[in-house]
Amino acid sequence: MAQFLQQMVNGLSIGSVYALMAVGYSLVYSVMNFSNFAHGGVIMFGAYFGFYAITLLKLPFPAAFVLAFVGTAVLAVLIERIAYKPLRERKAPFLYFIISAMGASIFLENIIIATIGPTFRTYPDVFGRTSIALGPVSIGRLDLIMFAVSAVCLTGLVLFVEKTKMGRAIQASAYNMKAAALMGVNTDRVVMIVFALGGLLAGIAGVFFGMKYTVYPQIGNITTKSFVAAVFGGLGSLPGAVLGSVLLGIIETLVAGYLSSQFRDLIAFVILIGVLVFRPTGIMGKTTEDKA
Amino acid sequence: MSDILQVRGLTKRFGGLAAVQEVDFTVRTGGITGLIGPNGAGKTTIFNLITGVYKVTSGTVTFEGKDITNTEPYLVADIGITRTFQNIRLFKNLSVFDNVLTACHASAGYNLADSFFRLPRFWREEKKLREKALELLTILGLEDRKDAIANGLPYGLQRRLEITRALALDPRLLLLDEPAAGMNPDETEQLMHLIGEIRDRFKLSVLVIEHHMDLVMRLCEHIVVLNFGQKLADGTPEAIRGDRHVVEAYLGGGDE
Amino acid sequence: MLSGINLIAVLGLSLLTGFAGLFSFGHAGFMAIGAYAAAYCTRTLHLPFLVGILAGGAFAAGSSWLIGRATLKLKGDYFCIATLGFGEAIRLILDNFQGLGGARGMPGIPQDTTIWNVLILDVIGVILLANIVRSRHGRNMIAVREEELAAQVAGINTFKYKMIALIISAAYAGVAGGLLAHYMTFINPKMFSMTKSTELTIIVIFGGLGSISGSVLGAFVLTFLPELLRAVDKWRLVVYGLAVIGIMIGRPRGLMGGFELTPSSMRKYIAELKSARSAKAAQKAEDATPGKDGL
Repeated sequence: MAQFLQQMVNGLSIGSVYALMAVGYSLVYSVMNFSNFAHGGVIMFGAYFGFYAITLLKLPFPAAFVLAFVGTAVLAVLIERIAYKPLRERKAPFLYFIISAMGASIFLENIIIATIGPTFRTYPDVFGRTSIALGPVSIGRLDLIMFAVSAVCLTGLVLFVEKTKMGRAIQASAYNMKAAALMGVNTDRVVMIVFALGGLLAGIAGVFFGMKYTVYPQIGNITTKSFVAAVFGGLGSLPGAVLGSVLLGIIETLVAGYLSSQFRDLIAFVILIGVLVFRPTGIMGKTTEDKA
Repeated sequence: MSDILQVRGLTKRFGGLAAVQEVDFTVRTGGITGLIGPNGAGKTTIFNLITGVYKVTSGTVTFEGKDITNTEPYLVADIGITRTFQNIRLFKNLSVFDNVLTACHASAGYNLADSFFRLPRFWREEKKLREKALELLTILGLEDRKDAIANGLPYGLQRRLEITRALALDPRLLLLDEPAAGMNPDETEQLMHLIGEIRDRFKLSVLVIEHHMDLVMRLCEHIVVLNFGQKLADGTPEAIRGDRHVVEAYLGGGDE
Repeated sequence: MLSGINLIAVLGLSLLTGFAGLFSFGHAGFMAIGAYAAAYCTRTLHLPFLVGILAGGAFAAGSSWLIGRATLKLKGDYFCIATLGFGEAIRLILDNFQGLGGARGMPGIPQDTTIWNVLILDVIGVILLANIVRSRHGRNMIAVREEELAAQVAGINTFKYKMIALIISAAYAGVAGGLLAHYMTFINPKMFSMTKSTELTIIVIFGGLGSISGSVLGAFVLTFLPELLRAVDKWRLVVYGLAVIGIMIGRPRGLMGGFELTPSSMRKYIAELKSARSAKAAQKAEDATPGKDGL
């Protein structure tokens, strides 16, 4: 039983990282109605920003952390301006956005490989490797902090979207861009803020991922799992993204623990196929019909 | 006089909002019926329900005596109903000719293997398709523009192209969604004659959504009025013109 | 040689993405299925080369049918994610399935691929693809890409045509995979990773969505380019990434700009050049003669 609980806790901790990644992605999807495949690259940059802030700039962790997510927020907005905005203005077909996103993601991954190099880097030990015992389970200090920060961020995001004026503008735009614009919402600003938020969350996720594992240019590929998580929970629904991620993390860890670690990555895809076949809108997703 | 289309108790809810509520009407075979009402009354929604683009919440759609409620849109075209769209949905980057040619596909008798290996049947049927497309374009007066890109056509001709495309499927019922939108009085007049000619020549029935009141009054033999998703009135143009409720809700003395 | 092999996969992907408008992130998965199936046939079952290749194509096509049934009814985004998942899943399965060699792959495949059979298959591939595109089937796929809703009300069964595009493109990829296996004489899952899928997609984009001749040119140019630019290899993908964005913004029709290099289009082009030249000459002649108000 203790082992089961332990696995649950482990699953939850990886799930919270996935959640941060998935929420940023889901947020952009809900407003822009397209999958920002460059999101992975931004997460990866977050990991690198944090890493260099600590090692090169010798900043204390809180400062490095802030630097990282501010950096990724800016990066995300830059990507939007350069790769997506021109297409939006031309009313380009949806296919072009995806291709452009792919181009951005290739660029991000390879600019790191070309400049800094593909070697793995490890974050210095910021929180110490000690674990805290909570009854029958132990949880690493890092995991605990990650969990706490994620919870704070996600709650903050929900409050922002529900309670603030800009948050409501985002909701309106998510529902219908044109109508929101007609109601006086500055949709361009909304898009920018949405991407900035997504980038912010990506940065946090990146730093945590780097700290928990290692830093390497292909971190972007892990985001495939967060896509799966977002779809699982329901694309476009933020609580869904969180739920999907946590569930994915737990299921993955349980499978790896009880069946075989070889299946760990595969299970994500099995879930994906399952979701797409049986319930494409995910656990909490909404169905939409095309308006003629 | 029989009815080609019957709509009974048609209802469509989006979440809590009823876009269309318990609407009944019929379209007589060979007739031109108008569907009018203020913006947001649910007219395009009804088109979408008839053509299977939206699934009905309740109610039935009967075509030539058969229940076609909730049929997939591509099958609806097969069954004999085609339509145009309020915001023109042409294949914008294709030529005028290709727009119509693509729609002719249903009359082609060749299959995938024939295409792959260019068997004789492919050449025969393809030739027939091209002739048919050209014929339609000529009837509708577009053959001199056949190689122009659809997007580059003037607005009025784009609408005409959309109608041509809808005709390519040999429909028996043609649904036109605001075909005169954005047209000046001259063009509207031409369109009116065109619709009448098409009806006669192709032996169709027509259901048309329109805001141009004089077009509707002169063209349609039967008019259905919608308001807030419900049927307000149903009858001949004279009856509608005189109906108090309709005048209040919609006609109000202003001209469109 | 490699470009010839790539070309076949690219042609298939071109049909799917360029003509039917479906973006697939996992096409390498189909190549992998084709490669492993073909290799298994020749190496283990000792069947002749051609049978292996065809088997490769068939298996790939079959699996695409399964994938299609599950995913084609979904909105565009979901399809992309699903293909992404599929591509990776295939790689993972192959990585872990020791029966087919696991991560180390399958060595010892007879080297049956020659420049001749690649060329022949290339030509056949192009011709068949052109035949499809210039038929009602191809037109219907293009219609689905352009305006899906209008295509539906025009009687086109969008699901069926997307499926046809998917199956054909998977078959092409499978054949390409088989050819690759018999060229390299060994295969391992790493050869069919997302990098490969991305590479194929980039070629289709560069060549131009919806242009067969573009894909042909793209395949040859972009497979040779890495060789020429070996020195700055690591920057190659960086440039590609930016180039893709640039193409989408500036010239989405890619290299060929939506044109096809066919005998008739070349004749038209030459004729246009000639008439433009003679028009210019006539204009010059007119300008040269003194006019009413000329001095």
